Amino acid sequence: MIAETPSARLASEDFGAKAGVKPSYGSWLFGTIAGWGAFLGFLLFISWFLLALTRLCIWVGDQIPLDWGLSPAIGTILALVLVLVMITATLLTMADRKWSALMQDRVGPNRARLSIIPGLKDRPLHGLPHILADVLKMLFKEDFIPEGAEKNKFLFNLAPLLAFAPAFMLFAVVPVSPELTFWGARMQLQVARVDWGILYVFALASVAVFGTALAGWTSNNKLALLGGLRASAQLVSYEVTLGLTLVGALIVFGSLRLDVMAQLQGMTEASIRTAAALANRSGDFLVHDDSVIFGWLPSWGIVFQPIGAILFLVAAQAEIKRAPFDTPEGESEIIGYFLEYSGLKSGLFLIAEYAETVVVAGIVTGIFLGGYHLPWVEPTIVRSADQWLGISGFSWLAVLQVFSFIVKMLFIIWVMFIARWAFPRFRYDQIMRLGWKMMLPVSLANVALTAFVYLWGGRDGLAIMGLLEWLAIFSFVALSSRPHLPEPAHEAHH
Amino acid sequence: MKPTTDLDFGERFYLREAVKGMGVIARHFWKNLLGFRDPNAEIMQRKGPGVNMVSTMNYPEERKAYPPGYRGMHRLVPRIDGKPRCVACYMCATACPAQCIYIEAGEYDDQAIEKYPVRFEIDELRCIVCGFCVEACPKDAIRMDTGTHAPAVLSRPLAVFDKEALLQGPAVEHPSDLMTYRVPLRTPSADPTAGPTSRGDVKDH
Repeated sequence: MIAETPSARLASEDFGAKAGVKPSYGSWLFGTIAGWGAFLGFLLFISWFLLALTRLCIWVGDQIPLDWGLSPAIGTILALVLVLVMITATLLTMADRKWSALMQDRVGPNRARLSIIPGLKDRPLHGLPHILADVLKMLFKEDFIPEGAEKNKFLFNLAPLLAFAPAFMLFAVVPVSPELTFWGARMQLQVARVDWGILYVFALASVAVFGTALAGWTSNNKLALLGGLRASAQLVSYEVTLGLTLVGALIVFGSLRLDVMAQLQGMTEASIRTAAALANRSGDFLVHDDSVIFGWLPSWGIVFQPIGAILFLVAAQAEIKRAPFDTPEGESEIIGYFLEYSGLKSGLFLIAEYAETVVVAGIVTGIFLGGYHLPWVEPTIVRSADQWLGISGFSWLAVLQVFSFIVKMLFIIWVMFIARWAFPRFRYDQIMRLGWKMMLPVSLANVALTAFVYLWGGRDGLAIMGLLEWLAIFSFVALSSRPHLPEPAHEAHH
Repeated sequence: MKPTTDLDFGERFYLREAVKGMGVIARHFWKNLLGFRDPNAEIMQRKGPGVNMVSTMNYPEERKAYPPGYRGMHRLVPRIDGKPRCVACYMCATACPAQCIYIEAGEYDDQAIEKYPVRFEIDELRCIVCGFCVEACPKDAIRMDTGTHAPAVLSRPLAVFDKEALLQGPAVEHPSDLMTYRVPLRTPSADPTAGPTSRGDVKDH
């Protein structure tokens, strides 16, 4: 009856309302378990892949007769910067949008399709094709330089690079794994094991100011200049707090090296080996795990430095210019310093923000969340892997340690994204007041208190101080809350 | 000057409210991530254990039915023999304030009905969905009861719907049809299920 004219086909396709198919609880349970399994499996695979890639580079370096000694560094640069940071930052561009949607009771972007691949024609794939769509959009947009910026074309082009590069360079000092043996080679997933680790963090965090200031100034646009000024002032202000909070961690661990800091928050390889070897028949370890305080508490930085950790997270959020500290960009109304950038340069600014998020989360993990350490169970893993799988337990432990680092890092990123939607954007004067009049004095007091307690009671004293601080924070949050007002009856059904 | 505020100390100190706010966001996140999505078009009726708080409808895949009186896209009502009921009287085209209906009349040789539309086209881009054509039609031959709107098209010519495209939906018979054409009534038509009833319909009980 209906002819095959184009409009007839359209009419027949669009005729009537379609109801969605309600999924059964069985398929929902299956989907949830399969999704989480795939996610954790992917993280485990990435952990193994990072180690294997570094090992491969070391092997390739061994094949070269010239003794150049750079292969571990190249391997870790490839594995950490290009694989870990870049993949995480790329996925975060999508995760940001999807997680924001979940926090705001939305579905999130799911319109992009990979229709070229046969079988995927009408599948949203949970929005993953949007990553590709975003990248292609950035690549193929016109790269336009405004007339006013032509005079400073070099600096104009340099600014996105200066915003982008420090984020990646910062990851050089983040320890993703301890020094370990993987397939017969000693290596560590850390690009640079340098004595000035934290100083390097401060120095490169300051370099990021140049990117924003240059971008604002060379754009030759009043609004961009104002955005650049806001950004520069904010970054300079919060660097102070950022540095002072890490001074507390410095006192606790007594080292500027991030790998030493991470190492001190768990068992060393030697003590794991001893503990795994010296276990009695019922599986109890005869070696006392001296990395736990009071016999049960993991000696993570967040235990010693609760205020330092919270202040560092807040200051870092301001330092990477993410909401609620995003007055420099103000993407929705007050336009920010990268106003005049288009195409891939604008994309560089955007991806730099996510890379900075990853790096900050890595630093927080390394200093405050025990780095790659799994508390309590490291000897058990080695011993069971040795016993049941018949292979070196330390290789399994290495993969699991990298895995735990990535999981902790993702958790910190998630907390930062939660904070992004929990707060409205701070006004410029509020940012300055928070930075100079609240966070700076508190971080100074934290440094003084930490130093005093350390001199008086050592690490155990610091642990007690930290627990008391946690107790104070929790009781303040839990006990001081105002009783809920009874809701009006008509609002109960909204 | 001291700012006047009704906030208590905990709210002014910000930390407690910050933690509480982040807790709210986190609760929404986990409930929507792990929850079970009920695609019921009536959002208020999305209930059940573990149902998440997402109130979005994925529009082209999931649709809410328009209300019963919705003036949607036109259709040319078929007779039970499949031919349009239209007798090409031009009344709809005359009544149309947007002048979006184009009719070319033809003549039947063998039937009591003399005229029929050779071409019957509606430009859905010009149509203002006023429903005057439906009011004007003496034969109940054009209706707007499809329950859908005109589809989106990629070019203007595709929005001109011809007779074949418009002729759809359940057939309608009318008592006066007995006098006008000689086909056996009650022949099983393509879609004998009752369409929307209105004046002039003969319901087969």
